[in-house]
Amino acid sequence: MIEVKQLGFSYGKKAILQNITFGIGDATFTAILGANGCGKTTLLRCIAGLTEPQQGSVDIDRRNVHNYSARERAQKVALVQQHPQTDLDFSAFEIVLMGRNPYQRHLQNESQADWDIVEQAMRQTNTWHLRFALPSEMSGGELQRVMIARALAQQTPYLLLDEPTSNLDIAHQFEIMELLRDINLREKKTILIVVHDLNLALRYCPEAILLCNQALMFKGPTKEALTTERIQTVFGVGSKNMDGHLVFEVDKKTP
Amino acid sequence: MKKKINIWLVSVGLAVLLVAAMTVCSTVGVVRFDLDELLHSPIFWRLRLPRVVLSVLVGMSLSVCGATYQSVFRNPLTDPYVLGISSGASLGAAIAIVLGLQSYLWGVGAMALLTALLTIVLIFKVASTGNRMHTTTLLLTGVCLTFLITAVISLLMAMHHDKMESIIFWTMGSFASASWMDVAIVLPVTLLGIGVVLYHGKDLNLLLTGSETAQSLGVEVEKVRRRLLLFTTLMVAFSVSACGVIGFVGLVVPHCVRLVCGSDNRRIIPYSIFVGGLFLLLCDTGARTLIPPNELPVGSITSLLGAPMFIYLLYKSKRRI
Repeated sequence: MIEVKQLGFSYGKKAILQNITFGIGDATFTAILGANGCGKTTLLRCIAGLTEPQQGSVDIDRRNVHNYSARERAQKVALVQQHPQTDLDFSAFEIVLMGRNPYQRHLQNESQADWDIVEQAMRQTNTWHLRFALPSEMSGGELQRVMIARALAQQTPYLLLDEPTSNLDIAHQFEIMELLRDINLREKKTILIVVHDLNLALRYCPEAILLCNQALMFKGPTKEALTTERIQTVFGVGSKNMDGHLVFEVDKKTP
Repeated sequence: MKKKINIWLVSVGLAVLLVAAMTVCSTVGVVRFDLDELLHSPIFWRLRLPRVVLSVLVGMSLSVCGATYQSVFRNPLTDPYVLGISSGASLGAAIAIVLGLQSYLWGVGAMALLTALLTIVLIFKVASTGNRMHTTTLLLTGVCLTFLITAVISLLMAMHHDKMESIIFWTMGSFASASWMDVAIVLPVTLLGIGVVLYHGKDLNLLLTGSETAQSLGVEVEKVRRRLLLFTTLMVAFSVSACGVIGFVGLVVPHCVRLVCGSDNRRIIPYSIFVGGLFLLLCDTGARTLIPPNELPVGSITSLLGAPMFIYLLYKSKRRI
């Protein structure tokens, strides 16, 4: 269970997040939605324990995320970042194997169990055939799946993803989302994902967190979150819901 | 499991090669002996042998430091010399000489460590923007600091004519005055530093993926990075205080190793230890035997090999900058 309590974060004088409180139940699949620059990524980074908020706290399983050691935290929360690094000189297999680091000691080599877990994670994400490939030899979708495989190899109860579909074509977007839904349903992992595509969120994520002007606007079922009024307020775009699918109208008068 | 045995096998092989090379190199020189004479000669015991041992130790130190910096700064173009850390250490050594501290065993080393640490902190403050360091900023900072430090050292020399010669020695780099005392100071520091870096081999790999990713994969990034930089700077400072500034060793050696065995630091670090020792040993043997009876500065030999390599690497990584 993730509990965000009165979270406030600012870069210098610029407030990014203000007084945000919500809870994420176990085995849920939640989308974080909001306009550009409204603090979605910052929120995710706070939950992952990468930055310390100035106000409030984040608890994971009833313990402050900053009271975990890096190693313990890496056994609880896995993070897939927005832009995977493409100039890394390690093979896909070695990259996924890094996900086992939180379970290994210094100077200790990987065990057979680690190798098996890596193979399983790579087969699950359909990247096993890429195991000898370098990031520079992979497409954006393939590399993103390798990053998800690494997060799976961490075997954490919580999986956080920052716009994993942002650079992908539509088929690969669906592929990634299908994969995440499958992981959520079968392995009961709690997934928290930043998405831009509202229809993708509507289709795959049962729960949503809607951020607007540094604050939490709505937390609940995605279908209820994305009303015409809220979309108008948050994104400044008109929309219609047609059979559970959003169609947007661009108002040319507003700048 | 197979991998572990391989690393050990290769390391032992390289170690044997290094010992063999040390044996051969300590028998060659301007003065020639037969074996019996050699073993009773003070030239062998008091001059050549400490010189051979010291060059190996410094080669090991600089190579391991180079490999470490390349992972910590996520930049293949860094080494103690290019970043200006060696020059920083030489400033400390020069100050120690001016203050008359060179008669104390650890005095020069301690001053060198102090100024080298200041240099690396300065580089870190100037060159880090967000969580990634930009290649150009990093290298330019290093080059500029080197200019600045060279200027300060020139001033020191101008003000202290009597000590000029010993200061020049530190800025040029040479093993000509190597003694067992130098070995006794450098050896523990080298072993300690190498031990720390070897211990963090896996962390170095993870640091290559970026500090945030490394953190989320269970590395205490700040702590590990500070520790690695402290101990590598310690190695650089004591190398420089024993033999002056020798450039590009930390660039050439890890790269040659990387070409053969890939970018896993759990291989690069142990192999760089032995290859680095071998490299500087051969360079120094060349320096004292190529044009007898004169000596070449060993720093110019390493730069002759290293600078073109640096340009090549710069050319290769152009698209990434």
